[in-house]
Amino acid sequence: MNVLKVFAIFLVTAAFSMVFPSCGDDTQGRIYSEVRSVNKLQLSRMTISKLATINDLRLDEAENIKQTIAALGDAVKVGSRVGAYSYDTYMTAFVDLSALGPQDVRIDKEAGTITIDLPPIQTEFSGRDMGIKEVHYRVTGLRSQIDARERAEIKERMNAAIKKEVEEKPFFRDRLVNSARSKAQMFFSSLLSGEEGYKVIVNFKN
Amino acid sequence: MARIQILFVVLLLLAAGGAAVWYYFLPSKSRVEMHDATLKEVKEIVRLCTVEIYEEVPVKGHVGSRNLVAREVLVGNISFDLDGLRLENNGDTVHVTLPREIVEVYESTGPESYTVIDTWNDNLFESANITTAEENRMKQLILEKFVKAVYAKGYVRRARAEAVANLTSLLSAFTGKTVVVTDPAPNGYQTAKRENNLPR
Repeated sequence: MNVLKVFAIFLVTAAFSMVFPSCGDDTQGRIYSEVRSVNKLQLSRMTISKLATINDLRLDEAENIKQTIAALGDAVKVGSRVGAYSYDTYMTAFVDLSALGPQDVRIDKEAGTITIDLPPIQTEFSGRDMGIKEVHYRVTGLRSQIDARERAEIKERMNAAIKKEVEEKPFFRDRLVNSARSKAQMFFSSLLSGEEGYKVIVNFKN
Repeated sequence: MARIQILFVVLLLLAAGGAAVWYYFLPSKSRVEMHDATLKEVKEIVRLCTVEIYEEVPVKGHVGSRNLVAREVLVGNISFDLDGLRLENNGDTVHVTLPREIVEVYESTGPESYTVIDTWNDNLFESANITTAEENRMKQLILEKFVKAVYAKGYVRRARAEAVANLTSLLSAFTGKTVVVTDPAPNGYQTAKRENNLPR
């Protein structure tokens, strides 16, 4: 009898959980939007271009039996399916001016210098092109079109690839940061040297 | 005899299962090839950025009877070019004019920033395919609508007010003088330069 009671309670609980599945989640279908105040001094902008191509597998590229079977399948299909897509991604180097304090600017009238200790330079991905460039497109015979969904998937993979590449190759960040340092020195020197002819020294904290 | 036959069948099934598992775990090759990223440009800029915007927007459009619905995540920022900034010294006071705002809008580089939800043709037996150029035009309309909304919602006004405050504080610290920043267009320049990033 006790077993029957437990089983009945279980059935009722399961039924309720199926009828009201999203009781604890009321965020479905909402569009997310956020606006925030920042105080960033952007000093350098980098444009990185990425290209991806779609093509059938070739037999000479196959490295195992699975790939060979896939390549054979592509070889017997009627027509060709080739596409090449590219877009640009943008990276920015900036300093967060909210971290700048009064002690970070020192004016030495005797020496004729203004010394600025700027916060460390940070880099971030600003965004990527909304659209995608179709560099090449050739779909013939009985092959299916490269549709919007597939293009979106390709773009997603290209995005992940760019991020990995930037992470693995310090060249991108180093070039951006060096450009930012140089610009900061030039800008503050021209802005602040003024009539008194002060020499402006720009340092970056670690 | 029957036992041998059963054993043979069992061994055959095990071998087939093993082969299937081995085949399943063989690495496959993608038909999509990624080429190395190339550095296109490095531009030196000096821009004061005061507002950042992050918004998920629906992308809906149609070309004739072909329809597309997608979800896109946009990131934007409102900044001010300080490169040509001139300090007008008037005794112990420095006068500066806040320049025109720059509204930039991009697609986010976060994961799944652009997801196609559905494409269809109202005419049942015709293709539902939306070409790249058509899709880019739909996104262009989304961009224009987004920028108009940025002005209408007062984000530009907020960005300009914060830029006045931030610039005053920054230049006061650098010059050691009283700084007065004038904003000739508190609501923004409606025809402000927009960084458009869609291919034509």
